[in-house]
Amino acid sequence: MNRRILVSIVVGGICAVAGAIGILESGAADVFLEATRPDFQKIPLGVVSIENNGGPEWLGGRLEEVLKKDVKRSLVFELMDLPSLGIKVRDVGNGLGNGSKAVFKQAADNGVSVLVWGKAGLKKGEKEDDVNMEGFVYDSGSDEVVGGKRYAGSPSVVRLMAHRFADELVFRYTGEPGIARTKIAYVSAQGAARELFVMDYDGYDARQLTADGFLNLMPRWSPDRRFLVFTAYRDRNTQDIDMIELATGKRWTLVSYGGLNITPALSPDGNFLAFASSHEGNSEIYRLDTRTKAVQRLTTNPAGELSPTWSPTGRELAFVSDRGGGPQVFLMSSDGSNVRRLTFEGDYNAAPAWSPRGNWIAYVCRTPRKEYKLCVISPDGQKRMQLTTGGGVDDSPSWSPDGRHLVFSSTADGKSHIYMIDADGKDLERLTFEGTHNSAPTWSPAS
Amino acid sequence: MAVVACFALVSTSGCSKKAVQSGGDTQSSQEKTAKGGSSDEAKSGVGTFPDTSMQSGGGSGLRGLDKNPSEERVSPGNGTMLAKADSSASLGRQLEEVRAEQAASAAAGLRDVYFSYDSWMISEDGRQVLSRDAEWMKSNPSSAIKVEGHCDERGTSAYNLVLGEKRAKAVRNYLVELGVSANRLSVVSYGKERPFCGEHAEACYQENRRGHLVVRSGK
Repeated sequence: MNRRILVSIVVGGICAVAGAIGILESGAADVFLEATRPDFQKIPLGVVSIENNGGPEWLGGRLEEVLKKDVKRSLVFELMDLPSLGIKVRDVGNGLGNGSKAVFKQAADNGVSVLVWGKAGLKKGEKEDDVNMEGFVYDSGSDEVVGGKRYAGSPSVVRLMAHRFADELVFRYTGEPGIARTKIAYVSAQGAARELFVMDYDGYDARQLTADGFLNLMPRWSPDRRFLVFTAYRDRNTQDIDMIELATGKRWTLVSYGGLNITPALSPDGNFLAFASSHEGNSEIYRLDTRTKAVQRLTTNPAGELSPTWSPTGRELAFVSDRGGGPQVFLMSSDGSNVRRLTFEGDYNAAPAWSPRGNWIAYVCRTPRKEYKLCVISPDGQKRMQLTTGGGVDDSPSWSPDGRHLVFSSTADGKSHIYMIDADGKDLERLTFEGTHNSAPTWSPAS
Repeated sequence: MAVVACFALVSTSGCSKKAVQSGGDTQSSQEKTAKGGSSDEAKSGVGTFPDTSMQSGGGSGLRGLDKNPSEERVSPGNGTMLAKADSSASLGRQLEEVRAEQAASAAAGLRDVYFSYDSWMISEDGRQVLSRDAEWMKSNPSSAIKVEGHCDERGTSAYNLVLGEKRAKAVRNYLVELGVSANRLSVVSYGKERPFCGEHAEACYQENRRGHLVVRSGK
């Protein structure tokens, strides 16, 4: 655990000339870690600052704030409070001067493995000014500045620059793409209508996708994050499963049987759409081959079946059935065979979501006090944990692509809003504050 | 740049004619019919699927830290470009039709049926209400009736859609028992998505657990 890495980010208008960075060469190998193991120790990382270098007053501070939150949420790093360790320097320059050497030593001596710093500024553009950011990384294990990034873009992408840099840090130390650039699709009330929206994973930059004035429900991402599938009501009287292309807003109908057409979910390889439909009587689960359009009925039961969720391999599905009275979570092979009940505790367990790492299934569990909370259970049923407590109805858990977080809706604060929580139930964070009703969040795959 | 590279496939995603007719928010680019063939779709009720698999080599868009980093252009969307929502013609029409249905239903004096928590059994009160509703339906034989199933806010959004359908079907089945022709009765479940009342209290929950009878406008 003698891993010491200093990451520095230099963001800046001036440092654009990269000649000075010649000294940064080294043969340090990238470190890859399995960051979801229980014994995984977070990597201590300090963000010195993102100094303003000619940009608007808020620029450096905004980038620094977004970056720090991303680093914290990554759960790969432990964000160190540098001033409390006596590291009060704000400007490490290009990391080459004698002054920076002293800072690096101080960080290494205080157990900070990675030190990050940067600069940000404006560059005159033809039409509008460009924001640019430079970030650098010092690694105390190899005692060197291991590299950096330079970004440029319009002022509207400032947050995205910080997100990209955070993901680069996660990528370097885990080999995973990070979640800072992921999105969350959700349903938001517009008057009596419910429309689809998409926001950044941290709740910023919400955009409306549908505007048809009625109900659009339960969105799910395509594996390539270019589409959403969801339930819509055509002319209010019948339900369809629709698809919308995010880049164009084009929208069309995938499934339009009679009765319910709900809870669509594309398989991880995109080759199948699982969904529930009641066109043959009561709600059953079907599997549609997206290439041949062959439809296979997977369940046959006089009870209601719904909410299929794919295992990451695509070989199994978890789903809800009320064949025993109240809804419970069941498992089956993706051809409908080998059905077995997974949840036994409580009389209402629904809305399952299989973790992208495969090791947990999150769902809504009704407690003995009739509260609807989040639970997770291992697919073998051996381990079960209640993640949330208190009042309010929790619903629609959805995993982050790294399997370390869940997003869900809750009425804990009165109106329905969207929250994020770590997979172990820690660090509850509210993501939406606008509007009267936000629900059915679904986390995009990583880019 | 790498960031924008993912949109090469946009132009290949087709939309069937059927989808255009049913979707409401028609765009001219949707007119082209993709491979599937719309006549098959009309029969099967299944529309056109684009390829949604992860593109091989698409990768994370991350290039790694660089000792001598060259400038990367960051553009909005970052691989998930979002079109601006197009306020379709459907929006105004929906609102108008909902108002027309409400007016017609109020004029008919149809009454709704209420349910207990987690239940779709029709109570004795409910039977009496439906008997009177059925009389009106029989004396107005040209009317088409929609039974909407509604639920309170407790429980999951998805399971409440199933519960709402059970309630709507229970109401429809009882009306058929009372002699109303089944082909005049349609059912739809709104789950907990179109509540009549928004407070977190039992009085409100009771208001929302209902089979709501609507005189359909038009056909």
